[in-house]
Amino acid sequence: MKIYINRLKGAIGVFATVAVLTSCDKTIEEPQRVGYAPASVDEKAGSWKTYQLTSATEIAVAAPKAVSSPEYVAELASLKQKSASLTKEQQEAVVYWGAGAVYRWNEIARELAARYNIPPAYNAEGKYPVPDAANPLADPKFPFANPPYASRALAYLSVAQYDALVAAWNYKYQFKRAAPSKTDATIRVALPVSSIPTYPSEDAVVAAASVTILKAMFPGEVPYLEARMKEHRESRLWAGMNVESDLVAGVDLGNVVAAKVMGRARTDGMAAANNQTLTAGMIEKAKERGLREAWVSQELPLRPPMLPNYGAVLPWNYTKADLEKLRAVPPPALDSPAFQKDLEELQTIQKNQTREQARIANYWADGAGSYTPPGHWHRTAANVSHEARHSEVRMARTLALLGTAEMDAAITCWDSKYYYYYPRPQQFKVKTSVGLPNFPSYTSGHSTFSGAAATVLGYLFPDQAETFTKQAQEASVSRIYGLIHYRFDCEAGLKAGNEVGNYAIARAKADGSGL
Amino acid sequence: MKNFIKLLVVSAVLAVGEGKAQMPHDAIYMSKGSVCVAAMYGKSTWTDYWENSLKRSNSNIGRHTTQNVMLMPAIGITNRLNVILSLPYVWTETSAGNLLGQKGLQDLSGWLKYRILKTHGFSLHAVAGASLPVGNYVPDFLPMSIGLQCRTVSGRLIANYKHPKTGLYLNAHGTYLWRSNIKVDRDAYQADGRVYNTDEVSVPNAYDAGLRLGILRKKWQTEFWAERSSCTHGDYIRRHDMPFPTNNMQATTVGWYGKVQPKNIGVNARVGYVTDGRNVGQSTSFTVGVLYLFTL
Repeated sequence: MKIYINRLKGAIGVFATVAVLTSCDKTIEEPQRVGYAPASVDEKAGSWKTYQLTSATEIAVAAPKAVSSPEYVAELASLKQKSASLTKEQQEAVVYWGAGAVYRWNEIARELAARYNIPPAYNAEGKYPVPDAANPLADPKFPFANPPYASRALAYLSVAQYDALVAAWNYKYQFKRAAPSKTDATIRVALPVSSIPTYPSEDAVVAAASVTILKAMFPGEVPYLEARMKEHRESRLWAGMNVESDLVAGVDLGNVVAAKVMGRARTDGMAAANNQTLTAGMIEKAKERGLREAWVSQELPLRPPMLPNYGAVLPWNYTKADLEKLRAVPPPALDSPAFQKDLEELQTIQKNQTREQARIANYWADGAGSYTPPGHWHRTAANVSHEARHSEVRMARTLALLGTAEMDAAITCWDSKYYYYYPRPQQFKVKTSVGLPNFPSYTSGHSTFSGAAATVLGYLFPDQAETFTKQAQEASVSRIYGLIHYRFDCEAGLKAGNEVGNYAIARAKADGSGL
Repeated sequence: MKNFIKLLVVSAVLAVGEGKAQMPHDAIYMSKGSVCVAAMYGKSTWTDYWENSLKRSNSNIGRHTTQNVMLMPAIGITNRLNVILSLPYVWTETSAGNLLGQKGLQDLSGWLKYRILKTHGFSLHAVAGASLPVGNYVPDFLPMSIGLQCRTVSGRLIANYKHPKTGLYLNAHGTYLWRSNIKVDRDAYQADGRVYNTDEVSVPNAYDAGLRLGILRKKWQTEFWAERSSCTHGDYIRRHDMPFPTNNMQATTVGWYGKVQPKNIGVNARVGYVTDGRNVGQSTSFTVGVLYLFTL
């Protein structure tokens, strides 16, 4: 028996060794962002051109109490107590939100977009129920945050943040209330302090504006958003960065500005974007123009196409008249050699897709369950703005220019898609390695989004322009490698995207920032 | 009981010789210096799958099929220590929809099987296993991907009782599987209800337990088996979304295994059917193999 026990010990020893060898750390390392004092305080930002506010002073903000007032002295005393010693959770919240208000709320919006980016399932009758904003958590959840929806949510978020921050900057430099720790040096601060006046608080402005927009865009997330906002607000006290009156003034301003921005959202045509009764007429017109075979859904049961009237949504940086100019030139006829050539390219890739082609297709796929291509480019923009140590207002400007360009890209692309109603390669027996979006092929959405983003970001960050251009080109061809777009879809999309980006640049040049 | 044994016997193909081919979960050993190579073909299909706990079909997948061919040598180092290796080539396809089938060499697996004790028909065995991805396949294009790209290490204990006269045996095993994190082509993905801004994915560890009842004779073997496998944790397939490597995949499978090896050459076959699961297809699978035994 003893020998058996020894053997058993031996076996356990082997298992133990194996366990030690493999119990390596499985936690996921993500790049961490931390706070900084901005490279420039952008003290003239109060004069920058706003999108929806008529001016930075449209919304009045009351003058703060003097730093010598008993009220402010009491606020300082309260802040001193709240920031004196922090729990681990409070410290983590301070570091998290300290990375930047615009940065974090953009990230939160992308995460919501990803969580809601799933097309409805068909029901027992073979129908696809339409998500219901009044019942957002039922199946299917509202919204289906597809690329046009995500581009729009992020555009309004960024515009509201920008307009609110321009107004905030105006009042900051009008009232010039210094940071609490500059008035009372004994206040313990957990983040870098700049010379930017703290009344109203830029964090509170951004949080309130963001939550107002995101509650409307993701109505099932109201409790989540309120909890995030509460934490963000408190983190400013824990960090010793803002007194209560800085925050109150910021929240009030952010709420009012965002409500104004939502006024545009309610009348921008989105409510009619999913008007499915228009498609028969669209197909008829495309056929009159010579289309031999119209796009049909490749799903079973046939799924109604995504947002067929999104092309009629109100653009930001160009007019409705420009929309026709931006529309792509007609695609090759389905019996033309040009079509045959690009279809054959896909057939060849399908037979022998290289691993590198698959990698590129997967990297840029940003399909169901992701934050979509507009989210991808928002992430890039937020990261480069963070790395450039931009102030909150400058990062908001970057994201507003990008965000409006991305929504504009969706509008022109969807206009071309339903104007031409062009069939996908899958109607000619091509498969896909990334999943097939349910709308017409011409032009490529990824190419349009990426062309617009690279143009805008290349203007804002000229030293990285070449990188952005290469990324956009790769994003564009990724749809060929993933087998869901002809090369001519991608080329036309990239071109239209570049033109859309130029409209945003024209605005940037005229917004008074001098940047 | 007698009828059940009869059923087991009848379900095997009768032959004469020495039954030798072995698996990482059985109590069979190659004697020192002998090698048995199995060349196998397997096919697994499903039309229904569990989207989290919702059992459903998908008209854009139709019937999903995974096939593989595999070489699996078992080598007798000593009479009580064996090495088993396997390397499958796998390919996938669907009967509907437009997802591109994937194909390629999957993972090289190896097991060391050691008999700890043997007394009065009762035996206890320890198996240490490891696997390494060989092919550079895409791991997160599920359900078309041919594997998950994990490096794994496993530890298994097997308890076996074999009635010396009849060859009737009862076998139970439990396994714990450590799985490494993997890299995916994208640099952001959704799991556990949040977005991870990285290309690194944490794949949950897994465990399984099995129970087998069969008859092992010199020239043949027949067995009924049931297995339960699960991840230690993990998220689930979201409504109408695709599976992902972080999912807590669970399955209860029942099946039959049989083998006939009259001399050096033999055949084996295995069928399995998933009766219950989470985040997996309800697959019906079969494997057939040719066995070749030789001594070094």
